Amino acid sequence: MKLDDMLEYVLGSLQADKRRSLMSSLGIIIGVVSIVAMLSVSEGLYSGVSERFSDMDVDLINVRPGTDMGPGGPGGPDDRPSSGPVDPAELSGKDVTLIENVVGVKEVYPLKSNRAKLSFRGDNASVSVIGVSPGNHNDLKDAIAKGRFLVGSDSTAAVLSYDLAVGYFRMDISPGNWITLYSEDKDRQLDLKVVGILKEDEDPSYGSDTGVYITHSAMEELLDVDGYSYSSIVVRAEDSSQVDPLAEEIDDDLARIHKDEGYSVEPTASRFESMLEVMNMIKYTLAAIGAISLIVGAIGISNVMTLTVRERIREIGIMKSIGATSREIKLLFLMDAGLLGLISSLVGIVLGSAVAGLVGSVAGLPSLVTVQSIMVGLSFGVLSTTIAGVYPASMAARLDPIEALRTE
Amino acid sequence: MKRITSIVELYGIERTFGSGENKISILKGIDLSIDRGEFVALMGPSGSGKSTLLNILGCLDRPSRGTLRLFSRDISSVSEDELAEIRRLKLGFIFQSFNLIGRISVLKNVEMPMVLSGMPRDERRKRALDLLETLGMAHRIDFSPQSISGGERQRVAIARSLANDPEIIIADEPTGNLDTKNSLEVINILSDLNRGGKTIIMVTHNPETTKNCSRVIKLRDGRIMEGAS
Repeated sequence: MKLDDMLEYVLGSLQADKRRSLMSSLGIIIGVVSIVAMLSVSEGLYSGVSERFSDMDVDLINVRPGTDMGPGGPGGPDDRPSSGPVDPAELSGKDVTLIENVVGVKEVYPLKSNRAKLSFRGDNASVSVIGVSPGNHNDLKDAIAKGRFLVGSDSTAAVLSYDLAVGYFRMDISPGNWITLYSEDKDRQLDLKVVGILKEDEDPSYGSDTGVYITHSAMEELLDVDGYSYSSIVVRAEDSSQVDPLAEEIDDDLARIHKDEGYSVEPTASRFESMLEVMNMIKYTLAAIGAISLIVGAIGISNVMTLTVRERIREIGIMKSIGATSREIKLLFLMDAGLLGLISSLVGIVLGSAVAGLVGSVAGLPSLVTVQSIMVGLSFGVLSTTIAGVYPASMAARLDPIEALRTE
Repeated sequence: MKRITSIVELYGIERTFGSGENKISILKGIDLSIDRGEFVALMGPSGSGKSTLLNILGCLDRPSRGTLRLFSRDISSVSEDELAEIRRLKLGFIFQSFNLIGRISVLKNVEMPMVLSGMPRDERRKRALDLLETLGMAHRIDFSPQSISGGERQRVAIARSLANDPEIIIADEPTGNLDTKNSLEVINILSDLNRGGKTIIMVTHNPETTKNCSRVIKLRDGRIMEGAS
């Protein structure tokens, strides 16, 4: 029997019993829909997250006080024996000097960030204020679009990120304008003259897209605290491929000063990586759920096909008596299942993409139908139905023609 | 010598079903030869083994013991696939209950054996149409077998049995479900085919249908009572 004749025969039998075809394909359609939809939604999440992180600098190492960062970062607090809770380390100029002297360090940015209320011509907004050491920040100096960057002696000057300066308040802020910062916990206020605006999308990854950059001395003034310490020290490595060993070395050096104090040294990229790992896990968990529904669908197909073989016993007997071989009968039923799987999978892919789009727009999640999710849906759909067809097909092939013809 | 033209030869054919205490012996040593061009009727009361014998002759069943030679070839031990090939190319089947596939048209039913033998589409369509025309069924080609009469169905079945131009036609009570008029027509068709050179082996219990037969073989209790050769 030729292949095209087989195909015609199978298509004919699928058409002849539309109810059966529909019933058995429903399970597969649902399975493929869930696989494609889940993969697409998680793919969308994944690419959304990685896109947000992609412009992040990979040559940065974050040194922070406290042990709340948890394990994961190389040379983090997990390197030291955990003997109960420890006080967070106070990061000071001593630490900055120490880190600056480590070989492989390009730049060191001691930072102090805090929330504050910004007031400009009657408009108020909560912003993040970042205290910086102007002399260290070549990166920010290069990112100035208008005006100038801070200098060490600036105690009443501020540099604003683009998003804050343009379109945030009723009136755009330009260099020369005065703004007022109010500390959130203490009733302190600080009038600042805007001296520079950063370029659009040029906020450093340790900053904020709505950030106000001021000197540490201005920050000290705003916060009015005893013993000013940094909330983080960001280290830029000379070689981004050497970030991990560099982090370990910094960690070892800091351990000498901060014996019983908690701090963490973590390349910023490592947080990103662990986040992507989590996203990947979510993705495959979702796909596994889809696969389970597909297996249930395949069992359904196997059941329906077994019934079909019973219903068609006489036809199988006729086919055998006029010369069909067992192999041909088996192939016909396998093709029946495979074709059903193919059609259902294609329907499932279309519906699944639609569902992914719907979920995306209703739940506000990004969704991305990739070739990969389509291929996974298609191959799982066709494979599972074909496998599901093996038993009923063998059953049909084994039928004794005389017995089969005797069946009413 | 008559033997040389024999296309069916059976030596000591036995067929048993079941095993141990439940063993039932249906055929108990059949020796039989049928020559090319014969029109043979197998007769006997029910349970005599005539259908079992026909199934073995039709390569649908295998004997438990003995030798079956078809077309001078021992087929007692050939593979399932080879048996299927013999059924496909050398034998044509006509059944009491017609055994047409209900979900496909009359024409497709007649085409089916040629589909199985891999004949090109155009060729087999033409042959199927010719056969149906010859059997007076040209007006029914697009009908479903379920929507035509019994006599018409049997004509379609005969057309199908002739599809691959077989040497032997195996007919299992071909008139069993037909009225007198249709029975007569079917027998006349078979006689015509026999005159055209086909060897026909027919199981029947109606003596009237055997009047054109060259030989009547009578079975009883799994043995041939008369007409073995």
